[in-house]
Amino acid sequence: MFPRRENEPEYALLNDPVSRKVNRYGTPIETVPEDDPRRKQPFVINGEELPQQNPNRYKQHGFYFNADNCIACHACEAACSEKNDVPPHLAFRSVGFVEGGSYPDYRRINISMACNHCDNPVCLKGCPTRAYTKFAEYGAVLQDPDICFGCGYCTWVCPYNAPQLDPVKGQVTKCNMCVDRLEVGLKPACVAACLGKALDFGVIENVPEGRVQCETEIPGFPRTDITHPNVRFQQMKSIQREMVRVDQTPVKYHRAEDEKRYEPELDPKKGFRRQWNWKKLLGSHENAHIAFTLSVQAVMGAFALVVLGGWLGVAPVAALQGSEAWLPLLGLLLALMVFGLFKLNMHLGKPHRFYRGFYNLRLSPVSREIAGVSLFFAGLAGFALFNLFDGAWAQLARNLFAGVALAGMAFGGYYMYRLYRIPARPFWDHWHTGAAFLGTGLTLGSLLVGLTALAYGALAPALARMLAGVASLGLVLEAAGLVAHALAMRPARSEGAASWYEQVTTFGWPYLLRNGLLLSALLLSGWLAFHGAPSWLFVPLGVVALASAIIGRALFYVLVIPTTMPGAFFWRNKGFVEHAREVGLADMPQLGVAYERHHPFRFDELWETIRTTSTKEKWDQLRRIFTG
Amino acid sequence: MLFGRTKKNPIKLPDKGVVEWKYAACGYCSTGCSIEVGFNAEGQAVSARGVADADVNRGKLCLKGIFEHELFSTAGRGTEPLARDHYRDQWKPIDWDSALDRLHDEIRRIQAKHGRDSFAIISTGQMLTEEFYTLGKLTRGLIGTNNYDGNTTLCMSSAVSGYKRSFGSDGPPGCYEDFEHTDCLIAWGSNLPEQHPIIYWRLKEAQEKRGFPLIVVDPRVTMLAQNANIHLPIRPGTDVALQNALMHVIFAENLQDDEYIAANTTGIDELRAEVEKWDPRTASKVCGIDEDTIRVVARTFAQAPAAMQIWTMGINQSTHGSDGVVGINNLALITGNIGKPGGTSLSITGQCNAMGTREWSSCSGLPNYRYLEIPEHREEIAKAWNIDVEFLPKKRGMYQTDIYQAMEAGRIKGLWLIATNPMSSLPNTARIRRAMEQLEFCCVQDCYVDTESNQYAHLYLPAGTWAEKDGVMTNTERRVNRVKPVATPPGQAKPDLWIFNRVAERFNKEGRVKFPEKASEIFLEMAALSEGRLCDISGMDHDFIEQNRGIQWPYTRQQRERGEPPPKGGKRIYTEPASFSYPGGRAKLIPLPFVDNNEQPDEEYPFWLNTGRLIEHWHGRTKTGKIGNNNKFSPIPFIEINPDAAADLGIRRGEYVRLVSRRGDAIAMAQPTHRVPYNMVFLPFHFHDCANRLTLGLLDPHSRQPAYKQSAVRIERIEDQLHAARLSKEMRKF
Repeated sequence: MFPRRENEPEYALLNDPVSRKVNRYGTPIETVPEDDPRRKQPFVINGEELPQQNPNRYKQHGFYFNADNCIACHACEAACSEKNDVPPHLAFRSVGFVEGGSYPDYRRINISMACNHCDNPVCLKGCPTRAYTKFAEYGAVLQDPDICFGCGYCTWVCPYNAPQLDPVKGQVTKCNMCVDRLEVGLKPACVAACLGKALDFGVIENVPEGRVQCETEIPGFPRTDITHPNVRFQQMKSIQREMVRVDQTPVKYHRAEDEKRYEPELDPKKGFRRQWNWKKLLGSHENAHIAFTLSVQAVMGAFALVVLGGWLGVAPVAALQGSEAWLPLLGLLLALMVFGLFKLNMHLGKPHRFYRGFYNLRLSPVSREIAGVSLFFAGLAGFALFNLFDGAWAQLARNLFAGVALAGMAFGGYYMYRLYRIPARPFWDHWHTGAAFLGTGLTLGSLLVGLTALAYGALAPALARMLAGVASLGLVLEAAGLVAHALAMRPARSEGAASWYEQVTTFGWPYLLRNGLLLSALLLSGWLAFHGAPSWLFVPLGVVALASAIIGRALFYVLVIPTTMPGAFFWRNKGFVEHAREVGLADMPQLGVAYERHHPFRFDELWETIRTTSTKEKWDQLRRIFTG
Repeated sequence: MLFGRTKKNPIKLPDKGVVEWKYAACGYCSTGCSIEVGFNAEGQAVSARGVADADVNRGKLCLKGIFEHELFSTAGRGTEPLARDHYRDQWKPIDWDSALDRLHDEIRRIQAKHGRDSFAIISTGQMLTEEFYTLGKLTRGLIGTNNYDGNTTLCMSSAVSGYKRSFGSDGPPGCYEDFEHTDCLIAWGSNLPEQHPIIYWRLKEAQEKRGFPLIVVDPRVTMLAQNANIHLPIRPGTDVALQNALMHVIFAENLQDDEYIAANTTGIDELRAEVEKWDPRTASKVCGIDEDTIRVVARTFAQAPAAMQIWTMGINQSTHGSDGVVGINNLALITGNIGKPGGTSLSITGQCNAMGTREWSSCSGLPNYRYLEIPEHREEIAKAWNIDVEFLPKKRGMYQTDIYQAMEAGRIKGLWLIATNPMSSLPNTARIRRAMEQLEFCCVQDCYVDTESNQYAHLYLPAGTWAEKDGVMTNTERRVNRVKPVATPPGQAKPDLWIFNRVAERFNKEGRVKFPEKASEIFLEMAALSEGRLCDISGMDHDFIEQNRGIQWPYTRQQRERGEPPPKGGKRIYTEPASFSYPGGRAKLIPLPFVDNNEQPDEEYPFWLNTGRLIEHWHGRTKTGKIGNNNKFSPIPFIEINPDAAADLGIRRGEYVRLVSRRGDAIAMAQPTHRVPYNMVFLPFHFHDCANRLTLGLLDPHSRQPAYKQSAVRIERIEDQLHAARLSKEMRKF
């Protein structure tokens, strides 16, 4: 139990004598009804079962932030980091700034933000490992680093940058609402530490003494419709029509037509100079995703083509299946799948915990993607195996496995797309993501088949025409998506506009190059689709299409700008983090910037887990994949 | 557990395993917060929290205090004495006895060769009061150099000087509780939310309850300025003109408190004659505040039943620093706002124990605000210390800033630097380097071996820091608070008090002067010396101070004997009529003619350079630059530059720029913001080899404090940003 002092000051004490029944979104503030059995379940913190002392234990709590008063003294952040032993490069709570006006008619708004313990915790729903729990106690959304395998998906979906992916430890941690303090009637450490009389805490919708507003929006705070965050604001002092961020993110906030809300829009901080930035483009931590998505999509495309083609009796495909290229092709598909899955797994913070990827099948698109892709892989492997045998039973097995693979592909492929439709990442949350994924599958899939056939002299003109046709279809689809996407992002009232700006400036040349490559590939494949020859054209076509796909996918990952909180000039400024890593300032541990790093596959830890987990617990784990 | 989860995961929260909390007043700024350091079962300091029943901070701490327990294990601590013949040689470890002998021998050698005052001793505002007192006794009573000062000349000297000139003695008359009674607050060049966050919290608490107007005088739109009722974006260094104009309006509109003036002050006619010249229109052309605003502020201030003024470095660090303080005191005196609840002129002090050094170090005189210039004071102290009264100089020697100029001119040959780092903190680094290079002998006594001044040292003595030591400190509101030795210094490092006592043994072979070993005994000696004086601490002792979470002086032996407990807070001085420290008890109203002698921006150097502090850092960053959860908020130097100026210069957000002044250049990262006007940049002073490469630091004629905040620079765009990044990185090791 948290050691409460006898003389805790008044400001540190929870004070919610009354509360409302439902919140503004219509959700009951009581997290579970009066007679719900969940109220009887033990509440255990650090191995200690705590009796209910706090009468409001089963009510949703939240932070209250008075933006007029925050002075950016960082006491809240420091108190949080001190209590939770958070290393300098992370923070459960951070203060960022937006500012507006001209000297001396100038105003800065400081925003202190931690986890909002949302009604709709997208982190919980997104996490594939079930590391998140929304407790009936206080409505706290807590995360367990011992379950987490460090994929970072929760950090993608959260609009507020609450979950912290630690590049050093390879795991996520986050605000825990100081539930131990709540149990003994104390407000969280950050609130008790506030020196500006800005931060408060209590049952949600309760307005602290001396405050009048209970808003859900202030300039710079991301939109609230995604998650229904449990945070409320006051911001009464007049501010300028336009409030800018002090970090490098090219976003500012402009007063909307209703003269109340502020909407994000583009702030072209660095002018419009087109740059290359190859290193930044291809050297990112997301490289594993480029490798995984491209290889898996190519394999899926190729597999669908040859299997469905075979089933539908398409002659050139049937001929290919009988050719010398067939088995090497299957081998190649398997090898590419292994490569993709390996890259994906090894980018995890805890790669040896890979098996936890299925745990949240009920809610997480990532779990569903992993399940689907794994099913596809199993089907592909079985299909390939039974291609080594002849006979009716082998034929049956082949078809069976192919069916399994196609089912896995449909399921996994769909969720591979779905998982990127993240409202907090406007650049991805567009149909072009699907067009790009499907297009890649068709293009790279058919080129994979074509090039393998070419290598074994099995690329008949009819097959070449067919494959080039499919590739063209994929390229057209991708190009159409890109055009629509650029048109949508450019004027967007969201961080999407900032992504578009980075696309045409920081990565302006690679973007143009990719578009040129895509167009060239389309011309080549179009030629081949009509003429079917010369077949060697598949080689340059393959090179050009692959280059286009790699650059395009790299752009996809590097350009996304989440709807996060504004940063400060150094702290929480992505631009400064990159600079510190680039010039070596990050070598100083007290700088608060850690390098990205890879984490080893710890067989010992895996073995230890297998050894120490009882059979019953293993069974329960398996059961909970389906029961929750 | 919602969302259909069937298993309730046990909650694991970080637990530092604190088994014991130990008391210490904070060692950063002068607010004087009471801290408890938490120790785990292994005896490591793992946590810190504010003491809930301490009146100053009431359980709160700022981010520096919250991580102060990490100080003990910061990088760069000195663990053994080091010696070398020349500062270019490699350091060699040396034992304590040899090190202390060498210090003694070098002091005596240099004094014998070049005269008694050719050896200078410069201390700090960072040590504990008993240490200051002991060092003062050692220096004044045994070593006998008159060139002995503290780095408080860089921060509080103008306040000291102004208080002395107005009231006849140093000693801030007000207290934090005044916020709860005031009806108008003017903050002159003080950015409380950033520099004294806990005092700001006290102010904010009071203001939310009572809603008094807050008037902020600051050329920069600080958080305090933007939240003020009235912000006066004054032209740098012209506060005195504004003060004169405010007084002009007060007299012109007959808003002064004639009764108070008659009963408590002298010099009203001379003051009236001078401010007569400063009508608001004339003043507005000098200070840049329009005449109507001047009138509004004057009326608001003078008509408030109780009005209070606070100030910090915006006033002190100026060529008119002392005058600015006198101007504030003048304003307070003519409106009767001294010594009453909510009516005061309260200097918000800098270092944790700047007040302690002012009271007890003997730097500027003799203990407890005694003057070298007064024969009775010399006699009292000579008798108390058992020294020859003629050994004491009859006039104070040089200030730290003058000592450095004398060093440059070759008149000072030896130096003992204690817990201060002039290589970072004095203006015009190039000159400081040249001065240090010329020394025949330099001893640096510091808790950090990587303090930049150590570059020029021949002897390094590793000292304890903060709560590795035993003693007391005095805060801004004259509260004496306890620091307890909750940790031990690393390796062979020793508390400063131990070092002083060992050095004293070497100068005191026959044992004529008594140097008590224990801080608590020294405190009693000091208490006895304080009896009947303004700063009377005779009712206090170490344990009693801790029980009360600090006691404001005066608290006398008689009060203690009567069983009168010290008040929790709210203690003021000069509360009785004509109780000021001048003979006769009247304060002086001093006319302040104003001549603007600052370096001004011109065509060649078109920008004001304004320097200042950041909340996350402490002074030269030897402490906070190594604590990640402090340092990360500003790990490298930056300038605030007006976005329009940046655009005109082609400078983009986050680019390094070169700042050039008549003294040298510096590299900093550009942060465009409308916090500063078009012709000004703000540069934090914390970073070594940065701000002070540029500053001129003209000295105040009274306080000898440098004008850090008024220099002129030009700004150059840097084409090769990677090279600039490299230079910037090389210039700081932490």
